[in-house]
This record gives sequence, C-alpha cells and structure tokens, in this order.
Amino acid sequence: MIQFLRFATIRAALAFFTLCLVSFIVFSLMELVPGDCAERYLAFKNSQGAQISIADIEAERVRLGLDRPFFERWVKWISGAFQGEFGDSCILRLNINQLLGQKVWLSIGICLGSLLVAYSIAIPVGIIAATSRNPFLNNSLRLVSYLGLALPNFLLALMIMLFSTVMFGNSLTGLFSPEYRDAPWDWGRIKDFLSHVWLPVFILGWSATAFAIQTVRALMSDEISKLYVTAAAARGVSGRKLLMRYPARHALSPIINSLGFDLNRIFNELPIVALILTLTEAGSLLIEALARSNDQQLAGAIIFFLTGSIVAINFITDIVLALVDPRIRRSILG
Amino acid sequence: MAEKNIYDAAVNQTAKDAYFTASQGQLIWTRFKKQKAAMVGAWVLVILILSGIFAPFLTPYDPTIAGRDKDYLNGAPTVPQFCDDNGCSLRPFIYALERERSAKTNFRWVTTVNTDKRQYVQFFVEGSEYKYFGIPFDTHLFGIEDGYIHLFGTDSTGKDIFSRTFHAINTSLAVGTIGVFIAFVLALIIGGISGFYGGWVDSFIQMVTDAVRTIPAIPLFMALAAFIPATWSAEERFFFISIILGFIGWPTLARRVRTHLLTERNQEYVLAAQLCGASSGHVIRKHLLPSFTSYIIVDLVISFPYMVLSETALSFIGLGLKDPVNSLGVMLQNVTSADVLLNYQWYFIPVIFFIVLVMAFVFVGDGLRDAADPYGDTKK
Repeated sequence: MIQFLRFATIRAALAFFTLCLVSFIVFSLMELVPGDCAERYLAFKNSQGAQISIADIEAERVRLGLDRPFFERWVKWISGAFQGEFGDSCILRLNINQLLGQKVWLSIGICLGSLLVAYSIAIPVGIIAATSRNPFLNNSLRLVSYLGLALPNFLLALMIMLFSTVMFGNSLTGLFSPEYRDAPWDWGRIKDFLSHVWLPVFILGWSATAFAIQTVRALMSDEISKLYVTAAAARGVSGRKLLMRYPARHALSPIINSLGFDLNRIFNELPIVALILTLTEAGSLLIEALARSNDQQLAGAIIFFLTGSIVAINFITDIVLALVDPRIRRSILG
Repeated sequence: MAEKNIYDAAVNQTAKDAYFTASQGQLIWTRFKKQKAAMVGAWVLVILILSGIFAPFLTPYDPTIAGRDKDYLNGAPTVPQFCDDNGCSLRPFIYALERERSAKTNFRWVTTVNTDKRQYVQFFVEGSEYKYFGIPFDTHLFGIEDGYIHLFGTDSTGKDIFSRTFHAINTSLAVGTIGVFIAFVLALIIGGISGFYGGWVDSFIQMVTDAVRTIPAIPLFMALAAFIPATWSAEERFFFISIILGFIGWPTLARRVRTHLLTERNQEYVLAAQLCGASSGHVIRKHLLPSFTSYIIVDLVISFPYMVLSETALSFIGLGLKDPVNSLGVMLQNVTSADVLLNYQWYFIPVIFFIVLVMAFVFVGDGLRDAADPYGDTKK
C-alpha cells in the first residue's frame, strides 16, 4: 500500500511538473506575441476618443503588473491557473472564467464522448481484424481505416453539413437550438443538446476510430502469436474464451496507456470541426481568440485547460493500469 | 542427376549469400516489393511528386492572377472530346466559348458554348514563361491556340484550377519536406543525445519531450501562426509555416531515435568497437547511424502525410498559407461555401488529389514499416 501511494505521489508530481513546463511554454509563446495588454487597452481607449500618451501606457503597464520580470509574472499566472483563475481577457475585457464558463466542460465532454465511441467500435473490430484470416475482410478494414486517416475531419464535417443543408434544409450546426441557448440545464435542454452533439462526436470519432482500430489490431496480432496463447490453446481453451482470457487482457494495457495521446489527437481536430459546425464551445473560442482577435490571455487559458485534461487522463490511466495490470502492480509493490 | 543437385545447391547457396550479405536497404526493398498495395501507392506517389515538380510544364497556364482567364469566371471544366454530332477527329478538341452582352441576356455577360466551332488541343505549345535552374522555358505540354482550355474549370477570379492543383501539390510537398527535414534534424540531435548518453540526461530530455507531446499540436500551431504579421509576403509565410510544422513534429521522431539508440548501444558490436578504442563519434557514425538509417527513413515517410495534413488544416482555418499561394490547404478552403456545392462542383477536384496524395503516403509508409520490421517474415 505504501509503495502504491509512493508510486501515485511520484506520478502526481510528474504530472504537476509537466503542467508547469507546458504552462511555461504556453506563457512564453503568449509573451512573444507583439503588443501587450496595456497597449491594447489604451489603443481601445484611443479609438473611443481619449488622448493617450506614452506615460499612460507605462502607468497602465504598472497597474497590470506587466513591468514585473517575466519569471515573476509566470509564477503569478501559473499559481492563478492552478486555482482556476486566469484573470481578464484584455481584448474583450471580461473575466476569462466567465467567458469560458461551461464551454470548456462541453469541449472536454465532446472529446471524451468521441474517444468512447472510437474505442467501443475499435476494440471488437480490431480483435476481429487481428484474428480473422479472411483477406477480403482484412483489406477492406484496412482501406476504411486509411480513409479515416486521409480524409480530414474538417472535410468530412463540411461535406455532411453541406449535404444536409442541400438535402434537408437543416444545417445540423451548433450545439443548442436557439430557445435553449442560454436556458439552465433541464431535461429539455439535455435532449436538445444530445440531438445536436451526435454530429461532432461522430466526426471527431471518425478518425479516432481509424487510429484505434490500427492500434488494437497491431497489439492483438502481436499477442496472438505469442507462446502462452499457443499453450492455452493446447490445453483446450478455444474460441472467444481463449481470446478474452489471454491475449485481449495483455493487449489492453498498452491501449489504456495510449488514451492520453488519442485525446490529444482529438483536441487537435476539435477547433477546426468546431469552426465549421459553429459549435459554441472552447474550441471555436480558441480560434476566435487566436485568429481573429489575437487574444493571448484567452488562448493561453484554453490551451492550458486542454493540456491539463490530457495530463489528468495520463495520470488516471497510469493509476488505473497500476491497479489493473498485475505486471505493473508487481513492479511497484516489489 | 547429381549434377543437377549440385547446380541447385549452388543456386541456393548464391541466394543465401545474397540474402546474408544484403544491406538493410536491399532487404527492405525486397520485402517492400512483395506488397501490392504499397507498390501501387509508391507508383501513385512518384507520379504525383513528378507532376508536382514539373507542374509549370504540365499545366497550360500560370496559376497566379497573371494567368487568369478574365472572360470565364467560375467556369465549368472544358473537357476535350474526340467525337460529336459533326463527326470525329483524331485530335481532341473543345468547343469555343463565346461571351456576349446584349438586350437578349439582360445586359449581363453570358458565356455560351458554341458547339459548332471546335478548338483543337495542341501539344508543346508556347505559353507563359517559367524557370528551371534559372533557365527560362515557355513550352507547355498542351494548350489551345486561341482562347483557354480549363480541364478542371476556373475559380472565382478565372484562374485555371487544373494549373492551380498541380502547383498546389508542389507547394504542399515543399512545406512537408522542409517541415519533415527540420523535425528530423531536431529529432536526431535531441533523441541522439538522449539515447546515447542515457542516465539523467535521458530522463530529463524525456520529461521535456513528454511535456511537449501533451500539448495539442494544432492549437499550438494556431498560437504560433497568429504571430505572422499581416504584412508578410507569401514566401515568408510559407517558410514560417514550414518551420513551425518542423518545430512541432520532432518529439515523436526523437523518441523513436532515442529508443533505438538505447537498445543498440548495449549491443555487443558497439562494445567491441569501444574495446578496440573507437571514439564516441566513430561509434555513432560508423556503427549506430547505419544500424537505423532505414528505420529513420521509414519514420520520415510515415510522418510526411501528417505534415501535409497539418498544413491543410492550418490553411483551411486561414492561419496558414493564403489565397495567392497555391497549396492544397488553400484549394480546400475554397470549397467551404454552399455556393460551391450547389453550383461549382468542380472546385472539389483538388480534394480528390489531396486524398489520393495522403492515401498514397500512408500506404507507402505502412508498407515500408512492415518491410523494415526484421521479424515481419517470421510472424504469421
């Protein structure tokens, strides 16, 4: 138990370190963008008719703490970030938490949903692909999963959207119907949400499934050719029982391990899909922040959230693996 | 009878010798040739790369605004044919386009196809000038004498989509190549140091690499691409995007290099070389690098389509290359309106090229990976 706690603490410390490093990278990038908050704020005031001098900009800088050294500001930012406080966006002049609100959770929810869909398809299909000797089935599965790689999600989203606009007059975009957009969560809103959310989940799950099938297939075919499977078969275990009790259990742990990177890949695709489907969640806000208004604070906060959830998933999968996989459990418990 | 046996044995021996003395590259090539899908992919890829390189010669017009057909905006493809109601000809022809504005057309310019007037396709015609190695050329593979031929139609400014597509393949491949090259150099240095020295250097570098790997790449791309000042020229943007792609692509490659080095450096042949007094540099150059060059090449091919995909994704949301440049991402961006789907379907033709290009890369990469796996034959 003590060893396990030690393992968990080391993992948690590593996750914390990763987050700090990531936040440092993100923060430095934000700093590199030309122009800072003070200049922007005063440029805005200037456009409203006020006369602005260099001294005003300097005073504003002091007020916002931008005259402090880089490292100090980073420490301040990161300690705020861990308390869930990102300050104000200097373009929209609103508190970032208020801006993001539940949008981050919606995004993370959509991505986790796609991951779930991807693996609930990929695990059975991948196992079948690895065990089947039918060349036609294998080749067609291969083609489908290659298509999943080669047909970018944004293109797929675009095609589906345009197609449904032309065919059904319904563009399938957004996450809520207009009447539910700002409504509090209740049964009607949940139903409305589910009737919209399936499309982004499907589109994001599309290429994730293709990747996942490849992984599951490769892992299963590695395990199946191992001697312990032959030995089990020789003892008379056969069929589904043989697969489930031996190679599938072994192949499972690398799959759990790769979940974090799959989530990463889905996050990559989320903003672009969100842009096309005009989803009102963090992904499209990120594009808005980066491409349209160059809002560093907002962009930094969103990237921090996304990375944070990946680090969290990695941490959870490590712990789950340590609990589930006897090999890792033994190596920890000595 | 006995002679034949001896002969067979000799042939066998030669085959065995060839097998055992073959270099890694030869072995991979032999195994690669056996895979039909990968070979088809390789051929398609070679054709696409060549057509990208020779785009100025293969396409009839300049893909920029200079080569536009100002009388035929959003024009449908003009497909060459051999036969029509007026009979057949050996030389393919297209119909002449006539443009008129009168009371009959409500005083708007209307383009009509005159099916009685043929324009024959000519080969090796003179057209806009282009340069290879500084030498100017003006011969194009095909064209027509007067008027324009648009195999894939034209876009909203009258640029020839056929010409644009081939130049776009060239640009996208160039972005990918520069990106992969930068990623490769970084990966080799970082992964090499990490793998060769091991110990705490390795642990530290791995920690940093893992942290970089957890940042979602596309949002990071977007953050970096947002730096590009609006005043930059197309070329500057192009190089900047390629460099960004390279700087974000290295961690996966670096990890592979490191893992490979860690296993190889404990092999007996490295120990033997070290015992003979070889320096680190010598061991790396003469023993370690050759042991995994082929694997690195495979990895590069595999990572290539992701570079192309990233470029398209970036350009698609408007943070990458922009319209006067012809890249596949820019071409894809042009299909994003309902107008295109309803009225100008030929805008989708570059999409097919894009999918075929990525598919070809994935097939070749997969085939190479299987071929480079030394246990590939013993499995199954």
